[in-house]
Amino acid sequence: MKRIETEILVIGGGATGTGIAWDAALRGFRVLLVEKRDLTHGTTGRYHGLLHSGGRYVVKDPHSAAECIAENRILRKTHMHCIEDTGGFFVVTPEDDNEYPDQFYAACARLEIPCEEISVAAALKREPLMNPEARRVFVVPDGAADSFQATHSTAQAARQAGAQILNYHEVVQLLVEGGEGDRRVVGARVRDVARGEDVEIRARMTINAAGAWSGVVAKTAGVRVDVIPGKGTMLAVNHRIINTVLNRCKMPDDGDIIVPIHTVSVLGTTDERVEDPEHLTIEPWEVELLLREGEKLIPGVSRTRFVRAWAGVRPLYQEHYNGASRDATRDLTLLDHKTRDGVAGFLTILGGKWTTFRLMAQVTMDKACEYLGTCKSCVTAQTVVPGVEQGHYWLGHRLREVEEHHLQSELVCECELVTRAMLENAARNNPTLTLDDLRRDVRLGMGPCQGGFCTYRAAGILHQVKSQNEKGKSEEPARWEVAYMQSPAHNQRSAISDQPSAVGGQPSAVSGQQSQFANPNLLLRDFLQERWKGLLPILWGRQLKQERLDELIYLALMNADHLPDENATSPMSEFYARIAFSGQLSANSDQHSAFSEEPISRER
Amino acid sequence: MLDLIVIGAGLTGLIAAHTAARAGKQVKIVTKGLGATHWHAGSIDVLGYYPNSATPVQRPLETVRDLTRARPQHPYAILDGTLSDALKNFVALAQELGLPYAGAANDGDNLWLPSPVGAARPTFLAPRAQLAGDLRRPEPMLIVGLRGMRDFYPELIAENLNKQGHRARAAFLPLDLITERHDSNTVHLASALDDPARRMKLAAELKKIFQPGERIGLPAILGLDAHAVALDDLQAQVGAPIFEIPTLPPSVPGVRLTNALRHRLRQLGVRVEINADVIGFHAEKDRVLWIESDASGRPLKHRAEKFLLATGGILGGGINSDHTGKVWEVVFNLPLTTPHDRGEWFRARFFDPAGHPIFRAGVPVNREFQPVDANGGRVYENIWAAGNILAHTDPILERSLEGIAIATGMATARSACNLKP
Ligand SMILES: Cc1cc2nc3c(=O)[nH]c(=O)nc-3n(C[C@H](O)[C@H](O)[C@H](O)COP(=O)(O)OP(=O)(O)OC[C@H]3O[C@@H](n4cnc5c(N)ncnc54)[C@H](O)[C@@H]3O)c2cc1C
Repeated sequence: MKRIETEILVIGGGATGTGIAWDAALRGFRVLLVEKRDLTHGTTGRYHGLLHSGGRYVVKDPHSAAECIAENRILRKTHMHCIEDTGGFFVVTPEDDNEYPDQFYAACARLEIPCEEISVAAALKREPLMNPEARRVFVVPDGAADSFQATHSTAQAARQAGAQILNYHEVVQLLVEGGEGDRRVVGARVRDVARGEDVEIRARMTINAAGAWSGVVAKTAGVRVDVIPGKGTMLAVNHRIINTVLNRCKMPDDGDIIVPIHTVSVLGTTDERVEDPEHLTIEPWEVELLLREGEKLIPGVSRTRFVRAWAGVRPLYQEHYNGASRDATRDLTLLDHKTRDGVAGFLTILGGKWTTFRLMAQVTMDKACEYLGTCKSCVTAQTVVPGVEQGHYWLGHRLREVEEHHLQSELVCECELVTRAMLENAARNNPTLTLDDLRRDVRLGMGPCQGGFCTYRAAGILHQVKSQNEKGKSEEPARWEVAYMQSPAHNQRSAISDQPSAVGGQPSAVSGQQSQFANPNLLLRDFLQERWKGLLPILWGRQLKQERLDELIYLALMNADHLPDENATSPMSEFYARIAFSGQLSANSDQHSAFSEEPISRER
Repeated sequence: MLDLIVIGAGLTGLIAAHTAARAGKQVKIVTKGLGATHWHAGSIDVLGYYPNSATPVQRPLETVRDLTRARPQHPYAILDGTLSDALKNFVALAQELGLPYAGAANDGDNLWLPSPVGAARPTFLAPRAQLAGDLRRPEPMLIVGLRGMRDFYPELIAENLNKQGHRARAAFLPLDLITERHDSNTVHLASALDDPARRMKLAAELKKIFQPGERIGLPAILGLDAHAVALDDLQAQVGAPIFEIPTLPPSVPGVRLTNALRHRLRQLGVRVEINADVIGFHAEKDRVLWIESDASGRPLKHRAEKFLLATGGILGGGINSDHTGKVWEVVFNLPLTTPHDRGEWFRARFFDPAGHPIFRAGVPVNREFQPVDANGGRVYENIWAAGNILAHTDPILERSLEGIAIATGMATARSACNLKP
């Protein structure tokens, strides 16, 4: 078995784990991060997209709110290009309690969260689709944050500081040494998912940042961690129907926020305790609830076109907690397993929010430093990650570059303005096993057609790159900057930095050595299935028509349901195939048992 | 007074209008868009896969007979044996239009044509330009792409063809042989190849890379208005059989077919009012008197003796739905067969061989193709329905889209106008 030695092993490539790797590397530690899938496969890649101002928690959870506003100020500098400065409204609708707004305003003042009341007319001028019946509106510094871009940029910063990051590496067993009273975690046995091999990683300190999966990881060391997995569902409208975050001004509850992010606007969320954080089921009632609540902020929103639904699970934690996940604290919790369980060399970090990931990393590393006997201080609050020189994200940035550089015929995904070079570079430079990994890198397939056109093109392009690699014709891998992977212009030039390529020998869908996953037919099938999974809960009306066009393309035109290599699977195939929308039919049930084809009468 | 208004200008609507106009009837088409023809391959699928079977159909007209016995409500069953005549009529019409179609060398077989991913696509009739691609033919294939063209991947096609035992190799030519545009799509490329000078450049390059005995597959961009000339010209200059492989939408072979049919309708004096969204109708007793359209905010009434609904189901926009699970026919609010609950609309796998139940939603009709209600009673005396909106089939899954469109388009026009077959 391959063995790797390091000082710090971080488990989990979400915002928190990546933040820890960054912090640790900047403090001068040798650090290795392992993530079982792609970076942000977990909750970080399935969240609502809100950079909290703290407004949401001011009344209910002031401590969290204070953390949010402090981190909000920091992230706007350190991760500027990952944030769109949308600002946020807290809207008092006719449904809402009359007392709360004044409490809210006073609490914001106490915590120094900038908050200004504006007239409803002024708010409507900025957001014409907002409910005109609103009674009061407050403006706060909320923002929209791209967690894919932020995590990649943080990971790149960590790499530049010497960290090693391995995705598709899953911890299967923590390594525990010593006897009763003197037990310690000394690393982990890790499965290299792409190569199908095990690796033993030895570390002085192991940090469990596996989010909602932390309990599963801790259990392999005999340590009990009861995560409160709070599932939340979100729906994306196919447009930017708003440009400001809209919150209801009331005690936090289901379906009371709409976040404009990139090309869509996202309604969310619900909050429900679930058992399994991996396979989340979106319930029809959640969709109905989000539409109903969304109507209160934007009348008519339930009749717009939705392009996708997804769910994430909050890694909430409260020692000995039995209540509803909505009421569990959003505070971060660091579990020191030495004092808590008598197991040294092992920390678990839980709770918090995306907005507070940097702080969580800092708290964790402060504790780790105590044990490792060095007291280097945290510098992440003063260090920017690569890419910030691009300034705040704004909606038109891709379009401007595409137009200025005449890249129209380079577009592989017209919905999200992804060019061929963006795709090729991301596939060459980021470990890529599936097209879904490229979606997280460059937003492939995230627009209205949900992969209808770009799935085929992406499979074709990756296949082309792979064939060139096999013929040994590969051009020198472009000097390429992860933090710019979303920039059409940068990718066209393909080099502005001297940073080494990020792959570090990891397999990818374009490297011949991993040809079993580099199979274009598999890439195509997997991605279509992945998109389908997120479409099921919101397919009706115009999006249903769009989906029928995608069927016309992939069945009638391509006959892609009868391609060779039908049985090939990737590490993700099973995940994509798991039913995501309850109430739907099982696979392969007989065509006619499904429903009666008798005509039903309609009132006319 | 018009004899017939056809609602919808997809293949079904165009064929129906042509059938009636040619018999001397006064016909008009009112339509929102141009239907799915320019999204598809331009070939005529009749039956590619029998329901729930993964084996492609060899002889579709024979298998259709089994299908109609097993499923007496299927549109093919209602046609009552007129399918093969309809297809013959279509072949004759296409010939007249200068866009000849043909089937496999062995009469009655499906063709196996290479798809844009290199799968073998079963289809019954194809435009002349696609015929040399038939995978039953023995000659090895040279699949030629244009470097930088985003809708065609010759290496992928060749690899998959080889995996299925068909010899093929891939090659690239520079895209600027054909265009200098930065924003070109397949339709632009096709129209660039209407120009003989550009064809000459392309032919010269093809000659350099092809080996004797090979047939050459190209993306379907060989001319738009001058397609017939372009194809002959290229084959003659290169000295090899050349075939087109259809591409992602917009599909040039589909555009050619739509254009040719519309041209013929113009000659026959049939107006096609595009962008006219039908938003209402008026009926007295069981007779529809007029329909109302909304074109750029201007409501317009259209009167006729008879109305033929060819709005193309969910794909064409003739059937709409909402989040509550309501599914409705948008023009006349006709009764539909549909799954009762939104929880039953889909299966877990996108590629489930049984398809997704919601896509079988459709208008049930009687033996004359007139919409019926739950008791089998005719809803209106002067309405007919044809094509993709018909119930009891999933034509995309079966690969029967154009077969149903053509045959039911002709049959309904005849039935509505009392024409003899
Ligand atoms: C519905 C919803 C909406 C939210 N909206 C917001 C919001 O708008 N703003 C905000 O600030 N916060 C929001 N949050 C909270 C925020 O998303 C999370 O707190 C944050 O993303 C957690 O990041 P993480 O890194 O701790 O966990 P994760 O992102 O889940 O990372 C854990 C990682 O560990 C990996 N892993 C698991 N097991 C193993 C193993 N055995 N070996 C290796 N790796 C493993 C997983 O694959 C995963 O990638 C939301 C949360 C939810 C659920």
